[in-house]
Amino acid sequence: MAAKKKPSTKAKPRSRAVPPRPVGRRAQNKEAIRKRIVTAALSLFQTKGFDATTTKAIARKAGIAEGTVFNYFKTKEDIALHFFEQEVDQAIAAVRENPRLRKAPLEEKLFTLVHSQLEFLAPHERFIGAAFIHALKPASQLGIFSHRAQELRHRYVGFVQELFEESLPKQQHSPLSWVAPEAFWIFYLGALLYWLHDSSPGKQHTLAFLDRSLSIGVSMLKQGKRR
Amino acid sequence: MASMSADIAGSYFGYLLQRTFLGEARRETKLKSTHIRAARRMVDELQALRGPAMKIGQTLSLQTGTLPDEVLAELATLQMEAPGMHPSLVRVQFKASLGREPEEIFKSFTLEPFAAASLGQVHHAVTREGERVAVKIQYPGIRRAIENDFNLFRAVSKPAQASGHIPKAAIDEMEQQILAETDYECEAYNIEFFQKGLAPLSFVKVPRVLREYSADKVLTMSLVTGRHLDDFLKRRPSQKLRNEVGANLFELFYFQQLNVEAFHADPHWGNYLFNDDASIGLVDFGCVKYFRPESVEYLRSLCLYPGATDSADFRRLLERHYEQVGEKLPPAVRRMLISFADNFYRKVYPPDPEKQQLFDFGDAAFLQDYLRESKNLFRTKGVMAEFIFMGRAEMGLYQTLHRLRARVPTSHIVRKYLQN
Repeated sequence: MAAKKKPSTKAKPRSRAVPPRPVGRRAQNKEAIRKRIVTAALSLFQTKGFDATTTKAIARKAGIAEGTVFNYFKTKEDIALHFFEQEVDQAIAAVRENPRLRKAPLEEKLFTLVHSQLEFLAPHERFIGAAFIHALKPASQLGIFSHRAQELRHRYVGFVQELFEESLPKQQHSPLSWVAPEAFWIFYLGALLYWLHDSSPGKQHTLAFLDRSLSIGVSMLKQGKRR
Repeated sequence: MASMSADIAGSYFGYLLQRTFLGEARRETKLKSTHIRAARRMVDELQALRGPAMKIGQTLSLQTGTLPDEVLAELATLQMEAPGMHPSLVRVQFKASLGREPEEIFKSFTLEPFAAASLGQVHHAVTREGERVAVKIQYPGIRRAIENDFNLFRAVSKPAQASGHIPKAAIDEMEQQILAETDYECEAYNIEFFQKGLAPLSFVKVPRVLREYSADKVLTMSLVTGRHLDDFLKRRPSQKLRNEVGANLFELFYFQQLNVEAFHADPHWGNYLFNDDASIGLVDFGCVKYFRPESVEYLRSLCLYPGATDSADFRRLLERHYEQVGEKLPPAVRRMLISFADNFYRKVYPPDPEKQQLFDFGDAAFLQDYLRESKNLFRTKGVMAEFIFMGRAEMGLYQTLHRLRARVPTSHIVRKYLQN
């Protein structure tokens, strides 16, 4: 495992990646550089592996100084997290921005959510496998215990909760409805693992797995609600 | 029993399980008192299985003779059905196969399916050139689901295989045929084969494959018009029209066997479309059985056999066919084949018919004869695997002719195709 590169003292690192603001050329330039860094990093994560990739190599690949990288991201884990934030954002958008889905059954909305995530991750499959293992290490920033990863999870679970609330009849409380959104996060991780191991052409087995398990899951939830 | 642990996504049984969870399948639980009702319930349950298990059930019920005859006939026309796909999955599956969204390829595409296919569903679409087409889309991972179900079935049916009640060859034959249906490239080939082969029959309409809109999981065909049997009959067609349709259906069956040397082996009613000009639309060519030339020769020699069925010559004909595949014709099978010829085929299409011979398929007695004889024959366990699908297709044909109450010049039609 390659040593993690410490941020240079010269460059004053920001504590967090700043969300893009569509104001002026300066902001646009910044956003373009951020994109370049992420693209370069992902390409290296995919070809060389996450552990073997250094921020120096990322800077070289992006055609910028190493110090500039630190203006945007503290560590390579930060870059990875930024990527996962994008994954979640675009998946939420895929559900929200599709007018047809507004009246669709819950299982279809959830299918679209997870499938958009997997589609986003698909070009970086090798890196996702490594990140998965990395995320299990308690000290890792990608890990489920890291503060920023938790924030991301809360956002995701919150959105799933929203979908549940708008799609399921609001009658009596079911014991399932308390845990369901959190359980869905675990389901997503399971689906991700299934997808990583799926060697069928076009990941056809993952599609079947998602379709069937979501149908069963949602119907169990509905039955729980009826009680 | 490795397949027992197959995940839920990988099995039609899993789909059944899902339905149980949904509560949909929890229909009547009380066992009905009468035999027929109980048997009908079994048909319902088999329909609920939808997958290969249903097809296995179809064949088994014939061999074990546990069902009353009329239910047995109904069973032959059940359709295998994959789980339904919601529009998002349809879109994903379409894109996975053709690389683009349906709306990018077609002028319009209807996300709601208009029919269930054996392994997926069928959607209406209009091409950029303005042609209305049917787009068949396959449910993901279906091939593995079928393999898993067959592995499971092989495991649980070991005792029945050992006793010879379910010959291994029969299971293999079924699996091979059902797996072949998952191959849309192969189906496209079948359609083109039948389009050419059936061209001499002007009353048959076969769809045309639009190759540029087809791939491994998507099959686009020109739209074939017509009504399903139930709808067709609801409009009370005249006896004349029913006779014509019946004669066409009958001719289509024998033309396929004796002339095309292959036949459309899925007799499900959804696959036949009837029109008021007595023309017949044929769809879904996933399940097609190609005959060996020797088998066609064998059928040709048996059809309208002029001599006595207890003659040495007839016996020789039967024996020779079994010898060709290195088997010996068991005496019990021989007796049943002769009985079948005497009590069914020779009655329905006599070898020396009168000039105006018409067979009345409205009379239920013929169907009972057929079912009794085929049950007896299957029970001898001596039916060649090759004829399993033909038996099913034949039963579908007779069931349809009976529902049409058609009067058909059977012998004259068969005779047309005896001289090659």
